[in-house]
Amino acid sequence: MSAGISRIGRRLLLMVFLSLAGGLLGATLVRYAPGYGMDERELDPRLSETTREAIRSGHQLHSGLLSYYGAWLARAAHGDLGRSEWLDRPIAGLLVERFPLTLRSVLLGVLTAWAAGVVLALASLGARGWWVDLAGTLTSGFLIALPVAVVALAAMYLRAPVFVAIAAVIFPKVFRYLRNLLVHAYEQPYVLAARARGIGHARLLLRHVLRLVGPPVAALLGVSISMAFGAAIPMEALCDSPGIGQLAWLAALNRDLPLIMNLTLVVTLLTVGANSAAELLHSEAP
Amino acid sequence: MSAKSTLRAVSCSVLFAVFAAGLFAGYLTHYSYALQFREVPNAAPSALHPLGTDSLGRDLFARLLYGTRISLLLAPAAALLATLIAGVFGGLAGLAGGWCEKVVLAAADLSMALPLLFVLLALRALMPLDVSPVISVVATFLMLGALGWPSSLRVAWAAARELRNSDFLLLARAGGSAPGRILMKHVLPHLRPVLFAQFWISIPLFILTEATLSMLGLGVMEPLPSWGNLLKGLENFSAVRANPWMLAPLVLLVVVVISFQLALPAEGELA
Repeated sequence: MSAGISRIGRRLLLMVFLSLAGGLLGATLVRYAPGYGMDERELDPRLSETTREAIRSGHQLHSGLLSYYGAWLARAAHGDLGRSEWLDRPIAGLLVERFPLTLRSVLLGVLTAWAAGVVLALASLGARGWWVDLAGTLTSGFLIALPVAVVALAAMYLRAPVFVAIAAVIFPKVFRYLRNLLVHAYEQPYVLAARARGIGHARLLLRHVLRLVGPPVAALLGVSISMAFGAAIPMEALCDSPGIGQLAWLAALNRDLPLIMNLTLVVTLLTVGANSAAELLHSEAP
Repeated sequence: MSAKSTLRAVSCSVLFAVFAAGLFAGYLTHYSYALQFREVPNAAPSALHPLGTDSLGRDLFARLLYGTRISLLLAPAAALLATLIAGVFGGLAGLAGGWCEKVVLAAADLSMALPLLFVLLALRALMPLDVSPVISVVATFLMLGALGWPSSLRVAWAAARELRNSDFLLLARAGGSAPGRILMKHVLPHLRPVLFAQFWISIPLFILTEATLSMLGLGVMEPLPSWGNLLKGLENFSAVRANPWMLAPLVLLVVVVISFQLALPAEGELA
């Protein structure tokens, strides 16, 4: 019990450390980006030097990196992530508006990819599964060789929802990895021995094979969420889906660094959270 | 010769042919990648233009050859950079252990937690959109190389850590070998197959990432061609339906990526 709590505590500490370090990296990029704090109003000849100085102070141009980061952290703790320079709107509001759509696409995409991957990987190991194996291997080999943006274009052409395109990106990795894990697990001596003793397929899978493949599968589940968020950028950008992926792309095109850094941090937190949950899940498993 | 060896030989031949075509593009076409034939935009394949022309009247065959040169020269360069970073820091962490190992692994964990495409977008956003095409090429592949090391580092670290506890290193240390000699004579030869595999795996990954970045308008800039910005033409579905040869860059990219996957030797053959 206490070992479990200390493991959760360690993961939470790691999450906090990674988030703070990621935030510091983001703040460094924003603070030292060329053109940081430049304001067109400073070019107005009617403004006095005092007014210009006030504008510069508003951008914290005189502050060092750590005080800039500290101020950002203090604001973020109160739910204020700053303003988007391009849209001139609060970043927190943009996130609340667009995040649910991306989260829905990502979760549905990951679920679909895993469902297809698990079913096909298991079917490929059956007695007459060679054709499923061949079909799965060829499909995954082809999909893995396509750029994510081309998968997005294909989805747009076929009028498929964004989550289907995300699933098409995640599926080949899940299928290949799972298939190899299962093949390896079924070759283990104790699994062969159990099979020789006449244990049924379902019992063999649930009692012996799943125990062996559980930890790496849980790790891949965490990683697939991170991959899905990455895939959401071209999917939403090219399929015109107004989620945070499209927002990140537009922010990059419009050089809105505070916005893109905040988006990156939010996705990083989610990724670290998903990976930590996956790790705890398999470490808690019997 | 087994089926696997035959497949590997075919894949290597394909890669060699495509690489050579890109390298000797100037001998295979007389046109520059930027030369416009304004009187024949979207032309069908002909003796003059084997793959037709794009909407700006540029010869697609010439653009594909020069794009191949850029993608197939710079993706391995980026993969080399990523593998070098992974090899040096992963090897060091695995051999040294202690705080050095902790710091390097924490940096790798942090990098792996950051979603690659988001970070690439953020870094690209630091630069103006109207950078010169040459700078955009160098920056794109430099970013890929500088950010694509964490998973390779984990592999190099794991391999080096196994060596740290090996008997032959213990004997070498007991025999009074200097750290530099141990590294050069004993450690690097053992890490070479692992690093080569990581280098090889990274190349198609970087080709695909460049393609996605360029299709989003944040990679290699026009008029320089790369496989990525050649694929941007696929966004015009009606043009692709009318001119299916516009799919040639996609077909070539898929063939090359699959060839890279098939050509990787088995673990035992790398040693």
